[in-house]
Amino acid sequence: MRLKKMKAITLLLSAVLTVGLIAGCGGKQASDKVTIRMIESLTSPKRTELIQAMLDKFQEDNPNIKVELISPPFDQADNKIRTMLGSKEEIDILEVRDLNVAEFVNNGYIEPLDAYTDKWSDFATVSAVSKSVGTVGGKMYFLPNGLYQRQMFYRADWFKEKGLNPPTTWEELYETAKKLTDPSKNRFGFSFRGGAGSNGTTDSMILAYNGDKVNLEDSMFTKDGATIYSTPEAKAAMELYLKLYKDASPPDSINWGFQEQVQAFTSGVTAILLQDPDVIQSLQEKMEEGTWATAPLQTGPTGKALFAAGGAGWGMSSKSKHKEEAWKLIEYLSSPEVNTKFSKDYGLIPLHTTATEDEFFKTGPYKTLIDMSDKPDTFVNYKPAFEYPGNGQWGQVAMETGQALLLNKATLDETLKKWDSYWVEQKANLKQ
Amino acid sequence: MNNRKIILTGLIPALLLVLVFTYYPFLRGIIMAFQEYKLFNLSNVHFIGIDNFKNAFQDPKFIMALQNSAYWVFCSLILQFLLGLTLALMLKRKFRGRGIYQGLVFYSWALSGFLIGMIWKWMFNSQIGVINDLLLRIGLIHQRIGFLSEQKWAMMSVIIANVWYGVAFFAIMLLAALQSVPSELYEAAEMDGAGGVRRLWNITLPYIKPTIISTLMLRAIWIFNDPSLIYGLTNGGPAGSTHILSSLMLEHIIYGGDYGAASAIGIIMIVILLLYTIFFLSVTKAEKAGEF
Repeated sequence: MRLKKMKAITLLLSAVLTVGLIAGCGGKQASDKVTIRMIESLTSPKRTELIQAMLDKFQEDNPNIKVELISPPFDQADNKIRTMLGSKEEIDILEVRDLNVAEFVNNGYIEPLDAYTDKWSDFATVSAVSKSVGTVGGKMYFLPNGLYQRQMFYRADWFKEKGLNPPTTWEELYETAKKLTDPSKNRFGFSFRGGAGSNGTTDSMILAYNGDKVNLEDSMFTKDGATIYSTPEAKAAMELYLKLYKDASPPDSINWGFQEQVQAFTSGVTAILLQDPDVIQSLQEKMEEGTWATAPLQTGPTGKALFAAGGAGWGMSSKSKHKEEAWKLIEYLSSPEVNTKFSKDYGLIPLHTTATEDEFFKTGPYKTLIDMSDKPDTFVNYKPAFEYPGNGQWGQVAMETGQALLLNKATLDETLKKWDSYWVEQKANLKQ
Repeated sequence: MNNRKIILTGLIPALLLVLVFTYYPFLRGIIMAFQEYKLFNLSNVHFIGIDNFKNAFQDPKFIMALQNSAYWVFCSLILQFLLGLTLALMLKRKFRGRGIYQGLVFYSWALSGFLIGMIWKWMFNSQIGVINDLLLRIGLIHQRIGFLSEQKWAMMSVIIANVWYGVAFFAIMLLAALQSVPSELYEAAEMDGAGGVRRLWNITLPYIKPTIISTLMLRAIWIFNDPSLIYGLTNGGPAGSTHILSSLMLEHIIYGGDYGAASAIGIIMIVILLLYTIFFLSVTKAEKAGEF
């Protein structure tokens, strides 16, 4: 009898323990404060530190709001965010990226911010590009926390040695890079990127060559509705691309991604690098001052360079129970003062147009980006094809077929045909 | 309550956990393999019969990944086993600093596959990698080799990295087995005049055979299933030439958000492993395989 009782108690206890353990792992706690849960996507230790500092300041000013920051490792962040949203976990603010905003909107995960921005006094100075990045179907879904925009970095010392000027067209870039290439010295003109993200180069060349033909709002297509890959200009661009790889780039770069591309530049293997401003800090750390400089993007034969500003920013979950408080935090993070400081500290283009008056952005490596925005006739901003479901996979498709082309396993015509039909199909799927 | 009932009720929590976290996802995966299930469009999930499987077999990338998987598992396994066995035999003898040496040898097993992929990616780099630099300096090559960018080298290079990763596992398991071989057997054999090779062949190997069989089987399954090294090293490149089935499956999820296509590949992998296990166990006579 006693034994049975003991056993029953033990059983009960262990059941309680199990339930307690499982519940405890959830880590929820009740308090009279409002708790805002926020998750970031482009995580890096330094960035998390900067964000946490901003949040600390916000919580000091708003003692009734507690902010819980979730920082998953960068590689898994977007999947984690998706899973949390999909399983309706409580999350109030999330970092939305240009490349997944359409997906989140499609699935009804995020809330349009227009009702809030209408009442926000600083919204007037938010740059047009920032607004366009965060907008899907006419509604604004996130406020970028900084923009990424490509420019050219080059070895000023090597250029001087050979008496070269920074190239202004793609054709010139090829000629210049070729002159700087000397495989016997392990020196190459161009920091090529054939691995992940290779379409950053192929697409921007093809867009520049198509120039005025491109429909800027639907940038994978021309104004006539054909894909940008179907034109003779695309073929000319890709012929130059092939020459650029064969004559002026390290053969190994067929498989290079972001890290290798930047590393080759900082370690003195390559002379020209096309990258976003977030590499500026690592260039400043690893290279001697005066050995490198920046220049604007290259134009195509018609004198146009098309560029897209990309970015990520703060959006609001549609399931959030504290939308007012969440907006308060987004507004704080997006205010001219806070955002400009963050952009400076992390190396991004700020959200507000007023920030460009800051001395910091008028000199040094950022100046080129401001210069580019002063010449809107040459440097034309386009909207990337983020509203197409297939855009996420495009990088992978372009990379694999592009590598097959570089390895001579496919002809240029075949490759362009594949790219053309990929986007024709995307268009057809979207219309359904 | 009688004892039986108590035991059964006690099992419920564990059973529930296994059901929820193992069998439910497994079943869900099987269902997804027959659905159009794309992350971008979750409002339109529907059954499409065996289309996902058809698409897989019509995709040249899948066929290539299938061939690569066979090559990858076979070469990695054989080399890992042979080197691991050699290492274990060498470590069996006592010598000064054996403990430290063992620790150093086994350390690769403690690293994550993804990290190993990243490390080897830099070492294999043709412009700034240490392997090319070394080979150039000792004069073995005169031209830099693109280990990961030339197709004739790429698959071999990822296998080399994988061998480095897995040797430690075999060394650990086989060393443990070797240490359990009674020394009397060797003494007796020596008295009968058996040489080193003879002793290895007639005593050591038969004695540790059960361990060899189980480790070979387990390791083959792990190598087949583990995409982390390839994901970190080449991500399937150049032009898809180093994809194995598991890395291709991962690609469908990460870049395509296509859980249907990925699940179909997952099911195909399960079938392959099932056939392999049945074949392997019947050939090696399962009852002799040890447990651990």
